[in-house]
Amino acid sequence: MEDLLALALNAVRSSELRAVEVRIVAPARTEMLEIRNGKASALTYQENAGVGVRVRTDSTWGFATAGALDRASVRHVAHQALRAARAARAARPTPLAVTEEPSVVEGRYASAVKEDPFNVPLEEKLSLLREAEAALHSGPEVRTGSASMCAWQESKWFASSEGRSYRSTITHVGAGVCATAIAGAEVQRRSAPTSFGGNFGQAGFEFIRDLKLVEKAPGVGREEVALLSAPAPPTRRTTLVLASDQLALQVHESVGHATELDRILAMEAGFAGTSWVEPRMLGKLRYGSPLMNIVADATEPGGLGSFGFDDEGVPARRTELVREGVLVGALTSRETAARLGLPSSGATTRAEGFYRMPLIRMTNVDLLPGDRPFEELLCDVEEGVYLETNRSWSIDDKRLNFQFGTEVGRRIEHGELGGLLRNPIYSGMTPEFWGSLDALGDASTWQLWGVPNCGKGQPGQVARVGHGAPVARFRNVAVRGG
Amino acid sequence: MVGYDDAETFLARLLELLPVGSAADVRLRASEFGTMRFANGHIHQPHLERLTELSLRVAIDRRLATVTTFDLSRSGRKEAVRRALALARVAPEEPKFPGFPGGGSRPPVVPYSAATARATPEEQGRWAARLIDGARSSVEDGRVAGVAHIGETWLAVANTAGRSVRTRRSIAAARVLVERPSQDPPPSGWSEAAHFDLRRLDPEALGREAGETLARQAPEPLAPDRYRVLLSGSATATLLSELGHLGFGARGAEEGWSALTRRWGRRVAPEGFTLVDDARSPLSLPQGIDQEGLSKRRTVLIDDGIATGPVLDLVTAARLGRRPTGHAWPPEAPWGELGATPQNMIVRPGSARSLEELIRETRRGVLVNRFHYVRTVDPARAILTGMTRDGTYRIERGEVVAPVRNLRFTESILTALAGAELWGRELRCYANSDERGAVSVTAPALLTRAFRFTSATVF
Repeated sequence: MEDLLALALNAVRSSELRAVEVRIVAPARTEMLEIRNGKASALTYQENAGVGVRVRTDSTWGFATAGALDRASVRHVAHQALRAARAARAARPTPLAVTEEPSVVEGRYASAVKEDPFNVPLEEKLSLLREAEAALHSGPEVRTGSASMCAWQESKWFASSEGRSYRSTITHVGAGVCATAIAGAEVQRRSAPTSFGGNFGQAGFEFIRDLKLVEKAPGVGREEVALLSAPAPPTRRTTLVLASDQLALQVHESVGHATELDRILAMEAGFAGTSWVEPRMLGKLRYGSPLMNIVADATEPGGLGSFGFDDEGVPARRTELVREGVLVGALTSRETAARLGLPSSGATTRAEGFYRMPLIRMTNVDLLPGDRPFEELLCDVEEGVYLETNRSWSIDDKRLNFQFGTEVGRRIEHGELGGLLRNPIYSGMTPEFWGSLDALGDASTWQLWGVPNCGKGQPGQVARVGHGAPVARFRNVAVRGG
Repeated sequence: MVGYDDAETFLARLLELLPVGSAADVRLRASEFGTMRFANGHIHQPHLERLTELSLRVAIDRRLATVTTFDLSRSGRKEAVRRALALARVAPEEPKFPGFPGGGSRPPVVPYSAATARATPEEQGRWAARLIDGARSSVEDGRVAGVAHIGETWLAVANTAGRSVRTRRSIAAARVLVERPSQDPPPSGWSEAAHFDLRRLDPEALGREAGETLARQAPEPLAPDRYRVLLSGSATATLLSELGHLGFGARGAEEGWSALTRRWGRRVAPEGFTLVDDARSPLSLPQGIDQEGLSKRRTVLIDDGIATGPVLDLVTAARLGRRPTGHAWPPEAPWGELGATPQNMIVRPGSARSLEELIRETRRGVLVNRFHYVRTVDPARAILTGMTRDGTYRIERGEVVAPVRNLRFTESILTALAGAELWGRELRCYANSDERGAVSVTAPALLTRAFRFTSATVF
């Protein structure tokens, strides 16, 4: 592989080149298994390998890729990357600078894996899924049961002409169950451990065993059937307690994306959007309650957003984004950090695979826990709602106006959890919402979640990112039924 | 590297690697694209790709499994076969699997532009620059962002029942956003279009059009409420694309959670509103076959206001006792949640001659130029939520009177469709994805009498 890296680095000689970065993936493996109503809905193994080359000149980037690793293809890709950079000059480029970063010589990173998910017998994995799926069917109303698991493993070689090289093997796994119940025109879905495929982590198959899907499935089926006849919450402003999984998504959408410096600098304006945060606000903006402390931590064990080095070859690090409610940092790349005059990149640049250009992506963006046990969060609440597990999400292109729906709600009455609520929705504006945070759960309520489907970029890229969050309480939030 | 002309021979040889008596289908998919992404007035992410992927699905006693690989070498192919067989042996049985379709007729020849497929990176860069220049010509201090996506995909499919077919698809798609950063908050405008032939798109005009949708004054607040709404072609296409998933998707129809489950054969839109899926039409981004190698069939989805039925792939058609319509996604598509869905929707033209005529017909309402981040709130009722962006205006007495701050809608697309009063003669093709399986919707601007906004933002 070193030969191919050297070939790509040296294939193009031109005085206009400032840097060349090469990523070779060999291979990236994906296994997706899904049992749906007792049948195999997905039984898929995917493997890809190839090369991506990004070049930098004084004014433009250029990127090219091919899904082949023969010498002719690698050489061709390097030439195409320079050709792309030259083509980009057609549109009046501006000077391009990046931060200086320390060299990395033969860096190494590998996920901590006890049980390689690709070595676990298929029969065992399918048996687990079959059993979990069957356990979802708690009554005739359950029309569809689904149990799924996914494993990814990417072996990557990186080298740059600026003296950084590393090799990494990253393994991600995840699994979940989901049931759909129908009664008349009413359709309810309920998932575990959370929606959209379950929970995911950087680990081996031991992570999936620990999810205990078979044990959780009957409760999922029973609860979704009960939701069919549950009332919707009334429309009002009330006290909202969010479960850890829903709060993780709230952090993702209203803090994570809003603090991506490429969005802040309008580099994503045409597609994903920009941000309500402006560069001048760093270090000054009150983002929310003083209880709010948020970090982006790519060194966190087990996180989907953890790695040894990012796709610019910068070592992983932990960066504060919000300290006691004040915005103190952003998610940065070498280019965006340089534009702001920051001394170094925050090492958040990742690509979906060798075939995509690296972009700023969330790592593990975590809301740190507070000091209140779950029962204490509730005991001050005379009347409110507790919402759990995302069902729908939407937020505007500056990450201000949001609306989330969850799979399930519960009344809070006189400090205790009460009956189920179906189709709950809450909405708000980012700074007001975070400003209304008045209690944070302690470490026992905090959980690290894997979000495997964060979309960004053109052509589209899906990133797997992590979010840790406790249970939290917000006052005077708009809640209604969907 | 296997090319389009070698693809069928390559696939035939691959099928020979299977044990005698095996059943399988195999796909070779290629994308050869340039994506010139621009922001702040210059191309900041120029991307060239050439990817070819093999997808093999085997069936052993109705037990199905799929393997994909980029490794097209003989050893790569043999490994793919070995893995697929190993997976299929332990798979649960799919009792309704009908077997792979036999030879049949050659797929339809669909419109294709070699000039688009072969556009060089330099031509792509210049074309993107023309988009930027067009936008700047209409907004002098404008900040321009967007993308030009130009190239082709091709697909070859063969199976052990004797079918061997291929198709190629040329795509040119442009999206332009222009902002005026000197205003606080900066107003923005938007334009987009797609075509199978790059030469049929005018980049300068698209850039200018984005500038023309940009507000000249600060947006006013507008109270969230139910309004008559005039949707641009882009906004109409976004909603119809969602209905494609929620209403006409095979999986929802089969499992009973489709928004149209209880509405097949019933009126869901006014008389005169017809929606088809027609992958052969030059108004769309044409493609000849689906991922199972079946010819794309023109499928009527809404016939003069009446919902007719879902689109189907091999397995969902068998489960429902119907014929497949040629709308299969790749068998390895993640989770298979939606099954087959429409991929080339086209609205039959309406009677309004222009957007201006539609504005004149609106006594009081809201003009929406673009939607953002549209997501499903309730699939069974097709309730969606999303934001407006890049040009939202108040209409009074048939005239656009003021820009308004962006609004969040929470509404059933079925309500919006049932309330359609008038729509345009002019159709435009919108590609809602840059991925290799781009979905297109060809739609006009549409006026609907009932559309609920539930909150507003501050810009």
